[in-house]
Amino acid sequence: MSHLQMLSRIPRPLRTLERGMAQSQGWVTRYFKAFCKGFFVAVPVAVTFLDRVACVARVEGASMQPSLNPGGSQSSDVVLLNHWKVRKFEVQRGDIVSLVSPKNPEQKIIKRVIALEGDIVKTIGHKNRYVKVPRGHIWVEGDHHGHSFDSNSFGPVSLGLLHAHATHILWPPERWQKLESVLPPERLPVQSEKESLHGSP
Amino acid sequence: MSFMKLKAISILLTVINFINNNNKKSGDQGPWWQSLHRTMLRGILGKTFRLVGYTIQYACIAHCAFEYVGGVVMCSGPSMEPTIQNSDIVCAENLSRHFYGIQRGDIVIAKSPSDPKSNICKRVIGLEGDKILTSRPSDFFKSHNYVPTGHVWLEGDNLQNSTDSRYYGPVPYGLIRGRIFFKKSCS
Repeated sequence: MSHLQMLSRIPRPLRTLERGMAQSQGWVTRYFKAFCKGFFVAVPVAVTFLDRVACVARVEGASMQPSLNPGGSQSSDVVLLNHWKVRKFEVQRGDIVSLVSPKNPEQKIIKRVIALEGDIVKTIGHKNRYVKVPRGHIWVEGDHHGHSFDSNSFGPVSLGLLHAHATHILWPPERWQKLESVLPPERLPVQSEKESLHGSP
Repeated sequence: MSFMKLKAISILLTVINFINNNNKKSGDQGPWWQSLHRTMLRGILGKTFRLVGYTIQYACIAHCAFEYVGGVVMCSGPSMEPTIQNSDIVCAENLSRHFYGIQRGDIVIAKSPSDPKSNICKRVIGLEGDKILTSRPSDFFKSHNYVPTGHVWLEGDNLQNSTDSRYYGPVPYGLIRGRIFFKKSCS
């Protein structure tokens, strides 16, 4: 005999009472089940999205002035970091990228890519005048030379430390813009092995 | 190939079953081919969306597990013999990396410094600030290197046949992916 058929044999007031009790008990369990289901769906999806697709970060410091943080400590720029573009470790000269700091693995630094593997760069303040970037490494520099802790201090960085590609400035609203991958002409590599996909070196 | 055929047949049977149930519930509205078309489209679209949703959900859970907890890895190459043989299955955990608990003597999996798409499996010989002997035992003059901050010195157990920090220098800590804690002996 089905549940519905059984219910129809119980007198009406008792049926309402039973349905009320079942509803109040079921309310708590239903809420708990919905919460668990939502939690185990939403948290992994959100974490995967922030790790693999895109996330947002605030820029601190003056090493990328005037492109980022021109106002100094008054207003920090908030940038959109795109992980998806660097999933195959393909970067171009002039890209602004964020990477894990080679000196402090807890910190992320944001710099511009100056040279790719195989290029010979003329350094500013490095112990060698000319450096050839080894295979699987890149040379990064901040736009504000002299106030930047970059490859001129720690040498070429491995591509495995690459974190994301900064594509847009999101905050403050008057500084909404797309960050261009432009390399200042005085920082072009002296000799390059790889041709970049857009523009000429 | 036969697995795909079984899957296709089972999906077809589910769809037909779904349509039959729908037709029984809603009754007949209009000609039979119209209601069949409507329910089949709705059924297939609904099933596809649900399948895609489940796939995305399981992929995200798998990513979180591999990234933050650990996973099973197959090691290839002779550089860690006799500790780890070629094509051994090992279990790696990523919690030590996130909590900075890697010690001297741990076997770690790291991204290769010269090729970010491939992984290397070596033993941690020195942490930052340690003094490492880099000359061979046959050399008369011993040379030392200090491991810089934020780096580790990796060496394989099979010193004759291992490309490690003696070749490419200290490895940044950020390249370490996980620590191996269990090896399944195959032979």
